[in-house]
Amino acid sequence: MTNFTKFTIFTILFLLFVLPILMIVPIRMVPSGDQPGYGDMGRVSVYGLREFKQVFVSTDKNLVAIGTTIKNPNLKNKKDILFNLYEENNNLIRTTILNGFNIGDGDFVKIVFEPIIDSKDKKYYFTLSSPTAGEEEIIELFLIKPTNEVLEYTYDEETKFGGIPMVTFHKPEGLLKNTLTIFSNILSKL
Amino acid sequence: MKSLSKLLIIAIILRLLVSGLMFHPDIKTIAFQTSFLKKGVINIYPYLINNRISLPLKEEFVYFPLTYFVIGGYQAIITPILGNNFNNWLTDAGANSVVNNPNIIRYLILLKLPLLFMDIFIAFLLLSFFKRKEDGEKAFTLWLFNPFTIILIYAFSNIDIYAVLLTVIAFLYIKREKLLTASVFLGLAIAFKLYPLLFVPFLFLKAKDIKEKVLSVVIPISIFLFTVIPFWSQAFVNSALLSGLSTRIFSPNFTIGFGESIILGLLLLSVLFVFAWMYEKNIRLFKYFVVLLLILFSFSHFHISWLLWIAPFLVILVVQKPTLSWPIFLWSVLAMSIPLFYADRAMTISLFRIYSTWYDLLPTPFLVIQKFYDPLGVQSMIHSVLAGLSIVISFNLLKHD
Repeated sequence: MTNFTKFTIFTILFLLFVLPILMIVPIRMVPSGDQPGYGDMGRVSVYGLREFKQVFVSTDKNLVAIGTTIKNPNLKNKKDILFNLYEENNNLIRTTILNGFNIGDGDFVKIVFEPIIDSKDKKYYFTLSSPTAGEEEIIELFLIKPTNEVLEYTYDEETKFGGIPMVTFHKPEGLLKNTLTIFSNILSKL
Repeated sequence: MKSLSKLLIIAIILRLLVSGLMFHPDIKTIAFQTSFLKKGVINIYPYLINNRISLPLKEEFVYFPLTYFVIGGYQAIITPILGNNFNNWLTDAGANSVVNNPNIIRYLILLKLPLLFMDIFIAFLLLSFFKRKEDGEKAFTLWLFNPFTIILIYAFSNIDIYAVLLTVIAFLYIKREKLLTASVFLGLAIAFKLYPLLFVPFLFLKAKDIKEKVLSVVIPISIFLFTVIPFWSQAFVNSALLSGLSTRIFSPNFTIGFGESIILGLLLLSVLFVFAWMYEKNIRLFKYFVVLLLILFSFSHFHISWLLWIAPFLVILVVQKPTLSWPIFLWSVLAMSIPLFYADRAMTISLFRIYSTWYDLLPTPFLVIQKFYDPLGVQSMIHSVLAGLSIVISFNLLKHD
């Protein structure tokens, strides 16, 4: 076996079994699943006093972000967008301020906050508002039917089942655990 | 022989691993499009355009009819093995559900199996190419064990291998001075992919008399036309004929004023042809095929799958001229790295989506470089070095004979 043959075998095995592990290293958060499709439940506008409240369950521990699709029609909203995360008992636990200036029309937006370690299977709710935005500066959220994560939403003083097509993100537990997850995923497809 | 068998087994295992674990979306698109053959669709070009609204995948079929019939025919044969859920997978347009399908590895291995047969066939052709047994074995091993072709064929599901195999067969006949048989295989190769058409003018030069010269041009073009004319339509012309090759070769140019410009690729190909015509008494087609392809890759924005076109020739070249081993290795590394910097996830990170869709969170090399420097600038620098290397290799080839 020549050195180049050995080099080829090494390169291919590295590509298949080592590179996928190395590619996990820079991943700071992993999604709990796939973002649900937008469905046909319509959209709601957030501006001024029109706030949106979403109740959801974190299916894993180390909750660190929430991702969803936000529309910013004609990119007119350049105002602050407030995100407040509450525990079920109304305790405000995290606050994040975004700016409409950084949100395109239909962008997938990740709202990142400090990790919540014991978040697994706990119920939370968050509010999204843009209090200084006028009627011409709305942001829009898509609505979907309830899922195992998305439970109910409140908008315009009305509470309904379902909510926005959101996905929770969690801080990885470590390289070894993630490596096992990835390779067990492969094994499940054999 | 025993060691070659052992090598062959290791080579097949490596290829099956890459086939099953790396996913480029083109293979699913092509499998979806060619699946209409088993449903009785003969002319795929207008069918896809006319039914675009109702079809889950909207892309046009960009390959020639022979590709449609070969891949579609193979799929029709293996349908019982693929199982009932295969069609659901083909029509699934969900980015995540496609790679999370529990059968995806089996589907990919089965769909890529013809590529494996072609690949191994090329290895045996290279084995028989040389007079000296050791040289043949060296070429055989080098073809089977180089990371470039394994990645090009199996990670990117490169169906250009049909044309590559036929071109290699044609070249073997050229070596045996059977130009007309070679032109038949070249014609079949053109019926899969347009690039071997560029070899035809050199075949014309190589032919001994007027009759052979005429036939060496008429045969490949006739075979090509015979396979495409029944499907000729606006849909075919737009989808398949105006391919990337013709547009990309004629793209780089410099202006000479008053709206006129010199097309760089065409200029260099013309120089090569006229040089061969004027200065070669007994033209050795091998070196002209290699130089032609080196020009093509040096002065056009190529698709990564095109690199397979030159691969068998480079293997032969390394065996014939070991002094060129390192320059050719460097050339291959540079050529492979250019498309990896394209702003296209499917060139890099997305290839690993079978492992996990978590990789969707990673930026492409294009975006990573963008944080520090202009990624197109990096691409241009690498491409310029590649062009420089190509010029020197070409000079070496043309000078010594």
